[in-house]
Amino acid sequence: MELGLWSSVAIVLGFSFLVVFVDEWIVKPMRHKRWEKKAASGDKEFLHLLDIARNAKVVDE
Amino acid sequence: MAINYEVPEDKRLLYWLGDKLIEYRHPVSIVVIIVTAMMAYFSFQLRLVTSFGDLLPQSHAYIQIHNRFSGTFGGANNIVVMLEVKEGDVFNVQTLNKIWGMTEGLDKVYGVNHNQIDSIAHRTVRYLKVASGGTMRATPVMLQPVKKEEEAAAIKRIVHNAENIYGLLVSLDDKAAIIRANFIEGRLDYRRIFEEVNEKVVKPFEDENTKVYVAGEPRLYGWVYHYAGDVFWILVVTYCLEWVLRWMYFHDWRGSLRPTITGLIAAFWGLGFIHVIGLALDPLMLVMPFLITARAVSHAIQMHDRYYEEFEKCGWNKRRAIVAAFAELFVPTLSGISTDAFAVLVILLVPVVMLQKLAITASWWILAITISEMLLNPIVYFYLKPPEPELVVLRERGIFRKGINWFTARLLSRTGRITTVAVWLGAGLIGLYFMRGLTIGDPTSASPLLWTDSPYNVSHQRAQDKFGGVEPLIVVAEGYDRDAMKDPDMLRKMEAFQRHLERDPGVGYSFSLADIIRAVNMVFHELEPKWGVIPSSWVDVGGLFFIYFSGSPPTETAKYVTADYRTAHVTFYCKDHRGENIRRIMQRAKDFIFQEQLADLGFTVAQQDGKVVITEVASEPNWETAGPSWIVSAQATGQTPFKVGDAITKIGKVKVEKVEDLEAAITKEAANKTLIDFHLLRDGSVTETTVGVPWKAMFKLAGGLIGVLAAANEELVRNDALMNFLGFFTMWMIMLFTYRSFAAGFYLLAPLFLSNILVNAYMAINDIGVNIHTLPLVTVGLGFGIDYGLYIVSRVIEEIRVRGDLLDSVREALVTSGKAVTFTAVTMIISTAFWISSHIRFNAEMGLLLAIWMGVSYVGSQTLLPVLILMFRPRFIMKESRYAAARTRVAAESTTR
Repeated sequence: MELGLWSSVAIVLGFSFLVVFVDEWIVKPMRHKRWEKKAASGDKEFLHLLDIARNAKVVDE
Repeated sequence: MAINYEVPEDKRLLYWLGDKLIEYRHPVSIVVIIVTAMMAYFSFQLRLVTSFGDLLPQSHAYIQIHNRFSGTFGGANNIVVMLEVKEGDVFNVQTLNKIWGMTEGLDKVYGVNHNQIDSIAHRTVRYLKVASGGTMRATPVMLQPVKKEEEAAAIKRIVHNAENIYGLLVSLDDKAAIIRANFIEGRLDYRRIFEEVNEKVVKPFEDENTKVYVAGEPRLYGWVYHYAGDVFWILVVTYCLEWVLRWMYFHDWRGSLRPTITGLIAAFWGLGFIHVIGLALDPLMLVMPFLITARAVSHAIQMHDRYYEEFEKCGWNKRRAIVAAFAELFVPTLSGISTDAFAVLVILLVPVVMLQKLAITASWWILAITISEMLLNPIVYFYLKPPEPELVVLRERGIFRKGINWFTARLLSRTGRITTVAVWLGAGLIGLYFMRGLTIGDPTSASPLLWTDSPYNVSHQRAQDKFGGVEPLIVVAEGYDRDAMKDPDMLRKMEAFQRHLERDPGVGYSFSLADIIRAVNMVFHELEPKWGVIPSSWVDVGGLFFIYFSGSPPTETAKYVTADYRTAHVTFYCKDHRGENIRRIMQRAKDFIFQEQLADLGFTVAQQDGKVVITEVASEPNWETAGPSWIVSAQATGQTPFKVGDAITKIGKVKVEKVEDLEAAITKEAANKTLIDFHLLRDGSVTETTVGVPWKAMFKLAGGLIGVLAAANEELVRNDALMNFLGFFTMWMIMLFTYRSFAAGFYLLAPLFLSNILVNAYMAINDIGVNIHTLPLVTVGLGFGIDYGLYIVSRVIEEIRVRGDLLDSVREALVTSGKAVTFTAVTMIISTAFWISSHIRFNAEMGLLLAIWMGVSYVGSQTLLPVLILMFRPRFIMKESRYAAARTRVAAESTTR
């Protein structure tokens, strides 16, 4: 299959949106669930990460 | 918002600048968006074009000869179509009619010079026919398509008896015929020529018994254009993979997006600029935009990584983190961009228009990264949502970070340091040994632009095998007066020249007016072979030329000799264009011309005590004085202007100190003048002797593909070392200003110098020559290699101001900036290495070569550079530890109080 300029642009744009979607709506919730499980089993590292996730105050002026 | 928090004093201005950029984000964004939109529009107007003239060093003497005569005697843009039959020979109705059809088809291809087509079916290829009444005239070999086998047999007889056809246009085994066409340089549309040749010359005539091969420069570039679409696949695959890699590194889609914005803006500015200044993209230079974009992305990754680091350090304050990342990376980023941009500019030295255009556009493009990476960077981060803090922390805990920590500990140990220095020294020595084999020009007989088994190289090789050579070297014989080419001595000289150069293994065969005159003389004498010689009088030569050319219009005869018989050419068909072969053939040609000139002048010379001394004076020619000058006399005068022992000190205004100077001086002085001023040192005093040249015409080098490649190679040899030196010097100068230290440049350039050796060795081992295509990419690689080191050194300086201890600072630099450097190196290597899948061998090899260059430079900056810093403890770094000492002192004083 031969690719042209516009088909290439369409593919890379589509792929970018796919990555954003997968990251925001699939990976992040899964990651948090996994951390919670690990933290529940007493893993300190994941407890620390969860702590940061819940308590870190971001200053976004 | 003002900077009302503690910042490093020496970087306060940069912090202020970063903050102001955020404050004035709206007007800055609007301006950048408007300009970028305009540039994006221009980018989409850009076309892929190769301008043949731009590839040539126009100031070179060979090219000036090529430009003057390519329109008449043929240039470098020849297409060679070879028809070959499997069974039987070409002399049958069907095959001859195919040759007829193919010749007609080629004559209709866009841009072809209709008077410069060689084929047994073209009107310009003639043989001498004795007509009724004993008159003779030159008639085209084929006047129309063949209808009967008897006609085919007659053509076979004609071909076998014509020295200018048999072996040149029809192979000696009668199984192949060649159709050669020259294209007008100003009308070279490679894509169109490629398609039209396929449609009109190849497809309609191929069958089970007939195979058609097409070679020549326009065809070669046609294939390059045909394969140029590969770029889209490579773009898509590289882009997607890079997004995934960045996402895995940052654990966040913003880490994937942010470098893309930088790359895209820089690409629009770069490509748009190319269009605005009226240039186009060359399909062979497509790796270059990739490389520059990869570089832009690489700087952006550094910045993004630093932003995350500062985000954590600044207590999750986005604005402070943005400003800190901007200020702390400002120096290495600007310095890196400057070295890249200015190192590329040294390519301007090579007087090849394409390289000069490329140097300007690449330099601009790289400088455009400043806008996207530095000016716009704080603003983009400000608009983007800040990353989740836990992701920033997570980024520092993966296997990648652990691997970097482990490697840094081993590297900085005593054993690690010794091993590093030993390995680099060993590698450098091995590289030096192998890089001796690096060639200027093409090192292989096949075109290095395409793979060896590509249809083009297969065709090229087949035509070379069958005919012994298809790549022309045109040497022009330019007379001082009309009818110079009717001089029997001149024709004999041309013949001797042909025999001399044909002894070179790189030359297949040759052709000149001498071949025509001998063939015509033989026909005139009832095909008696003993008459196949050059007549001894002007009158006989003129008569034979009249017989041969009288029936042809001047446009047809112009490809052999000008209408006034003043200028003709000797064309040598070479077997390949290997750099080493071209150099040898050109040297042999020069030697022949020089020796003939000396023989005509009647003396021999040798170099003695730094002077060029006449060692022997021949009895011929005879000389006499005509006014103040000496001219050759028809009488035996016994006089000569030269004496044994005379030292030639000057010719005209050109000083002569070596035999080579004499050769160059005669070539220059006698190019357009018939009088040469010899300055002869005789008995302690210099006398000026004016001599009328004893020859009727000068041989002038050189046109044809071999001639123009020889010119390009000579320019590269002349400039290669200087370019390398200036490239390194430019970088050293920028280091001098960046770190205000003479030594800084040496530390940063040491790994780069060794990388340069290793990459040159790789090129030599893999038969990659330095030519006008490889040179700019290699020079860009030179500049790009230093960036990794800049980030490391800048971070060491930053850390030593806080820590005071060099080992600690180096370790910290390697695990922080070094980690980002490692990641950017990986992404850059991947983005260039993907080119290996290209059908265009040149792009594939350049991609791989640049990937290796990036890899070796990265390893150098990550291993040798820190080890050298630890070994020699450079002052430009150590002096910065005073800040840490001052800080400790202040802390101690406050504790005491």
